Amino acid sequence: MAKTTKLILSTGYTSLSVAHLQSPAQQLTSPRNIVSDGPSIVRRSCSPRAKNNPELISSLRSSFHSAQQEYAASLLRDTPSATPNGSSSSLPAAITSSNRPPTSAWTSEQDNVLYIPRIDPPTGLSEPPQHYNLTAKIFFLPNTPVQSRMSYAREALSLVLQELFPAQSVDLLVVSFPGLSFTADCEWEADRLNALQGNDAEELATWPAVEELHRSGLARELGVAEFGSEKLARFLEKVTVRPKVNQVNLRNCCNVPPPLAKLAKEQGIELLVHGDATEVVTRETLEEVLGDAGVIGEKEEVWPLWVVKYTAVVRDRGVIENKGYFVGAELVRRE
Amino acid sequence: MGLLALGTALDWPDAKKQANLVRSWGIKVRSDFMLSLLPSVKAGKANDAMEIRLTPFPQQLLEIWNKAKGKERDAMLWGDEVEYLVVVYSKESPKVLLSLRQADILKALENIKDVPEKAADGQSTRSPPVFHPEFGRFMLEATPGKPWGIEFRELLEVEPNMKARRRIAKAHMLPNEYPITLTTFPRLGVPGVFTEPFYPVSGPKLRSQFVPDEIANPHIRFPTLAANIRARRGRKVQVNVPVFRDEKTPWPWKDPTVNYDLHNWPEDDDVRNGAAPDNYIHMDAMAFGMGSCCLQITFQAKNITEGRQMYDQLSPLGPIMLALTAATPIYKGFLADTDVRWNQISKAVDDRTPEELGEKPLKNDRWRIPKSRYASNSTYISEDPRLRPEYLDPDLVIDESIKQQLLDGGMDDRLATHFAHLFIRDPIVIFSEDLQELDLTKTDHFENIQSTNWQHMRFKPPPADNNIGWRVEFRPMEIQITDFENAAFAVFIVLVTRVILSFGLNFYIPIRKVDENMETAHARDAVLTRRFHFRRNLFPPSRPSRSASSRSGSGTSTPMSTSSGSSTPAAPVESEYRLMTINEIINGTAYARANSQYQRQQPDLQQDDYDHSDYLEEEDFPGLIPLVESYLDSVNVDVTTRCQLARYLDLIRKRASGELWTAAHWIREFVARHPRYEKDSVVGEEIAKDLVGAVVAIGEGKGESVWGVDKFLGRFVPKDPIH
Repeated sequence: MAKTTKLILSTGYTSLSVAHLQSPAQQLTSPRNIVSDGPSIVRRSCSPRAKNNPELISSLRSSFHSAQQEYAASLLRDTPSATPNGSSSSLPAAITSSNRPPTSAWTSEQDNVLYIPRIDPPTGLSEPPQHYNLTAKIFFLPNTPVQSRMSYAREALSLVLQELFPAQSVDLLVVSFPGLSFTADCEWEADRLNALQGNDAEELATWPAVEELHRSGLARELGVAEFGSEKLARFLEKVTVRPKVNQVNLRNCCNVPPPLAKLAKEQGIELLVHGDATEVVTRETLEEVLGDAGVIGEKEEVWPLWVVKYTAVVRDRGVIENKGYFVGAELVRRE
Repeated sequence: MGLLALGTALDWPDAKKQANLVRSWGIKVRSDFMLSLLPSVKAGKANDAMEIRLTPFPQQLLEIWNKAKGKERDAMLWGDEVEYLVVVYSKESPKVLLSLRQADILKALENIKDVPEKAADGQSTRSPPVFHPEFGRFMLEATPGKPWGIEFRELLEVEPNMKARRRIAKAHMLPNEYPITLTTFPRLGVPGVFTEPFYPVSGPKLRSQFVPDEIANPHIRFPTLAANIRARRGRKVQVNVPVFRDEKTPWPWKDPTVNYDLHNWPEDDDVRNGAAPDNYIHMDAMAFGMGSCCLQITFQAKNITEGRQMYDQLSPLGPIMLALTAATPIYKGFLADTDVRWNQISKAVDDRTPEELGEKPLKNDRWRIPKSRYASNSTYISEDPRLRPEYLDPDLVIDESIKQQLLDGGMDDRLATHFAHLFIRDPIVIFSEDLQELDLTKTDHFENIQSTNWQHMRFKPPPADNNIGWRVEFRPMEIQITDFENAAFAVFIVLVTRVILSFGLNFYIPIRKVDENMETAHARDAVLTRRFHFRRNLFPPSRPSRSASSRSGSGTSTPMSTSSGSSTPAAPVESEYRLMTINEIINGTAYARANSQYQRQQPDLQQDDYDHSDYLEEEDFPGLIPLVESYLDSVNVDVTTRCQLARYLDLIRKRASGELWTAAHWIREFVARHPRYEKDSVVGEEIAKDLVGAVVAIGEGKGESVWGVDKFLGRFVPKDPIH
């Protein structure tokens, strides 16, 4: 019999800005102290086949690490008996023994949802929301039920808006469907292959839920990601609220497939560049990250359900004030 | 530099008497463009000045500061300044000359206001560019008609706008005149004719044996500036730059153009008293420095706090960008052993007296001053908690009494220190009209001092009408030959500022290490052969970010860690930085490691100074370009814009790695391969003419046939004629 718990993972911004230039090797293998290893950048991978967004993974690690440290620091503050001469010897045993505090100390549980780390009251935006360009991008993951996407999207957007308080809506909501990319080197070939990717029926079935977010005022404009010219043309024919944006991640950004460039121009759709991995996070990686943080044990599995990335950029200054990720997942405990 | 009011400029003895008055008024402030600085008037000697010193000193500055310190949420606006040499060139003429028709050209350019320029998208129109006079009468400066914003598409307008400026400038010149963007004219100051028209040397203002007084803009400010610097200094300026020793360069090398038998002015004794040492190209006038062209970028900050942060964070980048834009290998007809203009300008306006220089015991002057008034920054100005006291120069010279008055006026210690440092200088040009009363609605006396402190960054308070915000000027970059390059470096610096603010980056190293880097940047091919002190970890310490308390709630700061290492003992400052190549700083360690072959090919590589195995031993540094790319990945940029930005980044990446040559390197190679070059360091008339001809050809879209252009500009050789 399996017992499931809902998980919400979050990165925050500071962790993200520190961690997001770590080398992929470190991000995926080094269990801890990644931050103190110093930033070790490897050039942004343009490979559209890349799995696991390195920025997301490293900032999750960094976020967990920070939360644990913060807890450790608060323990120290609250332990007046700490000897003045001791450093590590004064640390509570819970930390020194396993090098990490108990999970319950830095996460929080509410209504059968485990927040990792716990979400403190958000700082919110420092200026009025209209001063920002607020973007959210939701990644629907493979092997998740299409009929749940509505609730995933609502949940994700609500977490984002909570973080970006007092904003009532995002300016752009981009939807990333699983399985789409521009895979071939040749620009024409990439566009042609793209036409066969994804699942048109599922994408169209999902869209009304996204349109609903727009109608209810939570997202001013909608966008899609990695749509080639054929897919986009088919999509545009059938949807009610058209996407205003198509995000593309091309190996060489200057090789926009001409049919796509043409279609976008004719249809008034803006082609924006993004650098996100196609498959933003895998089950294996998520389990490894949570295992390293001491959140899950051997008998537990973690299934990622959705990922949302959000960005708040001050419009007339081009400064990113806030950026981060939330990941929705399901923890399955095998009895 | 803005337009200058006319007036009666005081000659040095008179100006000196008024120095303290201006200093004291300056610290109150207004804003037209009278300029200058003031020196130290010895207490007791200038009675009128003494009196004023007792009045609230920093009057104009305090006025501005009080008025503008609360300015908030100003937009990111920025501007670039491109400076040109105007040459007289034709294929048929045996030599290339400098045109001294600045005044006529500027007059012709006054009427361009009627010609709106089409913007890049062909729809909107921008204000026409604005042309300004510069120190050299052979120079021209052009700025966009209105400032740029940060909208990404707008960044794409910079290059077409720069091209339009050049086209417009050319259209208002004679057919054989060209605006070119070499930093210096290769034959400025050679014996014989190098200007059109010709004027004899040894005039009363400059007293130079190499250049005529007419080389300077005739506006009274400029000759007065030059003359008063010379007078204050007590002799001519000495701009000595080491000569490049080639195979057949006589050694020791004695500058063959120096005339030891001139007896027109007392200063003609300078060379007889050792002003022209062996193995140095000797120059003796402000024009040799201030006649250099550079690329300056000014940013508006959202408030004073951000402005101070930008000033500090961009400071350590100054020497890096100087070396990366190196374009100045020739002076006065000789190959120099340095690649950049900086120190020559510094020496060309060095008004320090023998006492201030430490050559004589202090008697009449107030301080020993370690640097020229044109020099790298001497201090940091932010109240950023990440600024450790160890980064500051413990021996910074300041005017304590001015600092006290600023403190009394409510200014914080760090900013007061900065201005009290600037105000150790005398105003050099004082207009008698400005001394009649102190006008607190203006900023002229403050600007007088501020604008003649030429540090590699400048912190600019809002002007008197307060409709502009706090600004920071980035001044070290050398002008590049093509507008593509100039746009690339301008846009790059703009993007770096956004990265710094977005990611809360920390570039602090001790300010004296920045000085050291500035010297290092002068070396031939420093971009490939030298290493620079640079901070290892740019990122904020990893601290919990979620708790509301950890982020400033003031709304005045962009995300940056405000919690420095207060809770953990700080590591020694020396462990915070290490030596890096520019390749590593710009491209990151991983890229540098994979692309170090160009450095290995350097014949001048000094093994003790630079060891490639370091790339294996050192921890990875992310690199500025990957940081910029990461920033661009985080904001919504359309494909077209991103592609153009990628071209700019590609140029800079390749310059840093050596895949492409700097202009300085290209010029050296061009000279070395010229049939008339005798391997004796002499850049003769024909070589100079062909070099300028090549630059003109590149500007006309005929650069493909120019020697070496593929290694210098790669795939970025302009295809369309500018003119």
